[in-house]
Amino acid sequence: MKLSTYNFLTSKAIKGVKVGYPLKLTIAKKDVVETEFNPTFIERLLPKLDWNTVYLAAQTVDLADDIPQEQPAAVADNEELLQRLHHLLLEIDVLEGQLECPETGRVFPITDGIPNMLLNEDEV
Amino acid sequence: MDTPHIDHLTSQDYDHVYEPAEDSFLLLDALEADLEFIENELKPVVCLEIGPGSGIIITAIAKRLQNTICMACDINPYACRVTKRTCLRNETHVECVRGSLTDAFKPNAIDLLIFNPPYVVTADNELETSDKFGECTSGNLVHSWAGGKHGRRIIDILLPQLDHILSAKGVFYLLLLRENKPDEIMEQLRQLGFQSKKFMERRIPGEFLYILKVQRLDS
Ligand SMILES: C[S@@+](CC[C@H](N)C(=O)[O-])C[C@H]1O[C@@H](n2cnc3c(N)ncnc32)[C@H](O)[C@@H]1O
Repeated sequence: MKLSTYNFLTSKAIKGVKVGYPLKLTIAKKDVVETEFNPTFIERLLPKLDWNTVYLAAQTVDLADDIPQEQPAAVADNEELLQRLHHLLLEIDVLEGQLECPETGRVFPITDGIPNMLLNEDEV
Repeated sequence: MDTPHIDHLTSQDYDHVYEPAEDSFLLLDALEADLEFIENELKPVVCLEIGPGSGIIITAIAKRLQNTICMACDINPYACRVTKRTCLRNETHVECVRGSLTDAFKPNAIDLLIFNPPYVVTADNELETSDKFGECTSGNLVHSWAGGKHGRRIIDILLPQLDHILSAKGVFYLLLLRENKPDEIMEQLRQLGFQSKKFMERRIPGEFLYILKVQRLDS
């Protein structure tokens, strides 16, 4: 699971959960996969992302020094930041770990890079 | 769009995941036919396939759309793993998640949504008797085709959620069987605020298949 995907996942389908976002991410094993840097794509991706969750992801992989806590007004002109975002969001691949619902503590395991978000019938 | 290699998949794999068939190829053909629109107008940042099965469709998309985050979500854990293998075989990347429909995804993020649903008309209890949450049982395969009454069980759960899942310009390609009553579905979609058209149709032995292309009324 890339950290970009982490930005899209929620536990809101659990009965009684209001927001279910962001999930709490714990990483046991990760990989870094080099991919081609496309600054324009990162720019287009940004409006889809929740910055707070981007920052949380950076903290989880000890890259919080690379990413400002608040979203800067002009990211587009900041090639270096775009490069760092590219690395954080598209190159780090979580292989083992877990996601946790912020409201109920329900744990979703990540195995072989695949988060298991499936809920039991009595949870929905 | 190149048809992905699937020569790494064995008959054992097809004991657990849906083997690409006429419906899969019709959906691939429809996406290929609409590439001009997808690449030059829609320019999707995020694409999600629900129920990738073998991964054949989302792998073809990921290979073609280099600047799109491609994700796939299947309730069948085996399908998630096989989809990853299909990506590797074809040297591309898809993010695989195990889950039901779009439950796990935050609102209004998906620009391109694709679904070849379990559409076969079956008794509703066909789904109840299978062990939905178990690991790799034959129940996995039942979920790949059993659609309940009019084959619409899963489709009818998804339609009311579209407004929450698609982005403002989002587009949804859905495979349907004539027995699913596509005209009724199109009317239902209109009431939900979506326009739809039969983008492609094909007669195959014993079945008549459609691809519905769905967009917001105001898009
Ligand atoms: C007809 S198969 C299509 C497989 C593949 N996309 C293709 O075209 O060859 C339907 C797929 O949907 C999956 N599925 C069924 N119900 C689902 C649900 N509620 N959420 C996610 N996937 C589901 C099945 O496991 C199966 O892989």
